[in-house]
Amino acid sequence: MNCLLVFLSLAGLPFAAQAAEVAKPTALQFALNWKAEPEFGGFYAAKLSGSFEKRGGLNVDITEGGAGTPVVQMVANSKVPFGIAAADEVVLSQARGTDVVALFAVYQTNPQGIMVHPERGFKSLGDVFAAPGILAIQSGAPYTLFLQAKFANAKVKLVPYAGGIAQFLTDANYSQQCFVTSEPLLAKKKNKPSQSFLIADAGFNPYGTVVIARRQYLEKNPKQARDLIGAIRDGWNDYLRASESANAWMVKLNPAMDSETMKESAEVQKPFILAANTPKKELGKMNSERWTTLVNQLFELKLIKKKPAVEKLFQNI
Amino acid sequence: MTLRARLASWLPPLLPLIVSLGVAEVAVRLAWVPSYLVPAPSEVMQSLFDDRVELLLAAWATLSSALAGLALSFAAGTFFAIALSSSDLARRAFYPYAVFFQTVPIISIAPLLVIWFGFGQPTVIASAAIVSVFPIIASTLLGLKSTEPALLDLFKLYTASSGQILWMLKIPFALPQIFSGLRIASGLAVVGAIVGEFIGGGGLGSVVDAARTQQRIDRVFAAVLISSLLGVVLVGAVNFISALSLGSWHSSERNSS
Repeated sequence: MNCLLVFLSLAGLPFAAQAAEVAKPTALQFALNWKAEPEFGGFYAAKLSGSFEKRGGLNVDITEGGAGTPVVQMVANSKVPFGIAAADEVVLSQARGTDVVALFAVYQTNPQGIMVHPERGFKSLGDVFAAPGILAIQSGAPYTLFLQAKFANAKVKLVPYAGGIAQFLTDANYSQQCFVTSEPLLAKKKNKPSQSFLIADAGFNPYGTVVIARRQYLEKNPKQARDLIGAIRDGWNDYLRASESANAWMVKLNPAMDSETMKESAEVQKPFILAANTPKKELGKMNSERWTTLVNQLFELKLIKKKPAVEKLFQNI
Repeated sequence: MTLRARLASWLPPLLPLIVSLGVAEVAVRLAWVPSYLVPAPSEVMQSLFDDRVELLLAAWATLSSALAGLALSFAAGTFFAIALSSSDLARRAFYPYAVFFQTVPIISIAPLLVIWFGFGQPTVIASAAIVSVFPIIASTLLGLKSTEPALLDLFKLYTASSGQILWMLKIPFALPQIFSGLRIASGLAVVGAIVGEFIGGGGLGSVVDAARTQQRIDRVFAAVLISSLLGVVLVGAVNFISALSLGSWHSSERNSS
């Protein structure tokens, strides 16, 4: 009897598997380079509203990252099909011989900034560099090199940035890198006022929070990429309209940021996402002038030895 | 030593190196492995050459921090081991806490070190000392506990004081173990220093951190290569001191020299 059952179930297995394959949505991994925060709100909103499934039957698995998650390398090495990076990372990656392409830019204006204590009375980034004290910043990062080159003869001591704001809260001479949409709000939550300067205002403004994939993968799966980016655009339009439900989910994933701060952050980041009156269907699109500027800046900073072709760096879908 | 004998002694360690470097070079050149995943040895060499000044300065910073950390852990570890060996009660009370240093995941407490010691070398030295102290305590303790009983009886027969027993018998007898603890600790001190530099800044840790950010994997490997060279240099220095102090009397060094 048992043997018969086993036989029957084995015989039925191939058919069952085939049927499941037809119904089963395509599983896709989408790798973030940081914890769930409003920076990624639109992606979570797309997942929540079912946009990925509706558009192309995609079952997208959004995975959080952390400090030093090498998303660009993971994508370049086909460990994940899609991920998040900064525009400058895409250029560096192509200069190293990969075919990683940018598809959608969340931030038109890069929210990377320097957060300082307001008591110190700085008026500009130049003041921050000209005064003694400590500045925690990712060493070797393009924006760091840009600032170091722009504000030479700095008096400030550059130290590694380990994430978070713990040090900022306790040390009055401590300044740090930040996303102006995140850390200043966390500091405020801890009753610590802060002042932030955008690195974009100093002249270095790569697209931020960019969706990336390999060109080879895109050529093999053009429809999938279209569906994914379409759903992401829907998600971001939803999130810009109402952030609550996606925030509620992200708070569960990343309890370090409470829902109130998430909501505030979602508001603060709006002008960074929307250039002047961006139409809904233009959200996330990039232009070659911006990429050219970035390539030239990275070349001048000696981060790349030869300039990759700008039209190969990004693809508006 | 004849040329033949020299070859015979150098070839065994050199051959695996040459073969593995050759395979890596060919694999990257023929694009079996993309160069952004594993750099070709020639690229690493190029980076070693191009960035030699920066790498040398960084290596010096790391080496000096590792040495300072090692000196600290040697002093503290030896003192601790002597204290523990002097009483069973003390050993039972404190030895489990020494194990703490063995198991502490340094990368997770490194941010705390910055808060305690500030940015820069003090944090790096503390990190190097913390990861290298346990092998010193454990080996020294083992050495101090394994004095030959007959000799101990002899010292007691001549009514030697406990201080005399410690300095003239137990410590000399423990030297081989102390040196083997130091050998392990010296490699760990370099690792500890680099981890400390990730958070505290400076040295090879900073170079690796920056190179990783710039996706310069050749430079990461160049820095890693130098850090392992530092480990080799430190272990070599310990071996040298060990041979000097044990060579005249202890079988472990007499045979090999």
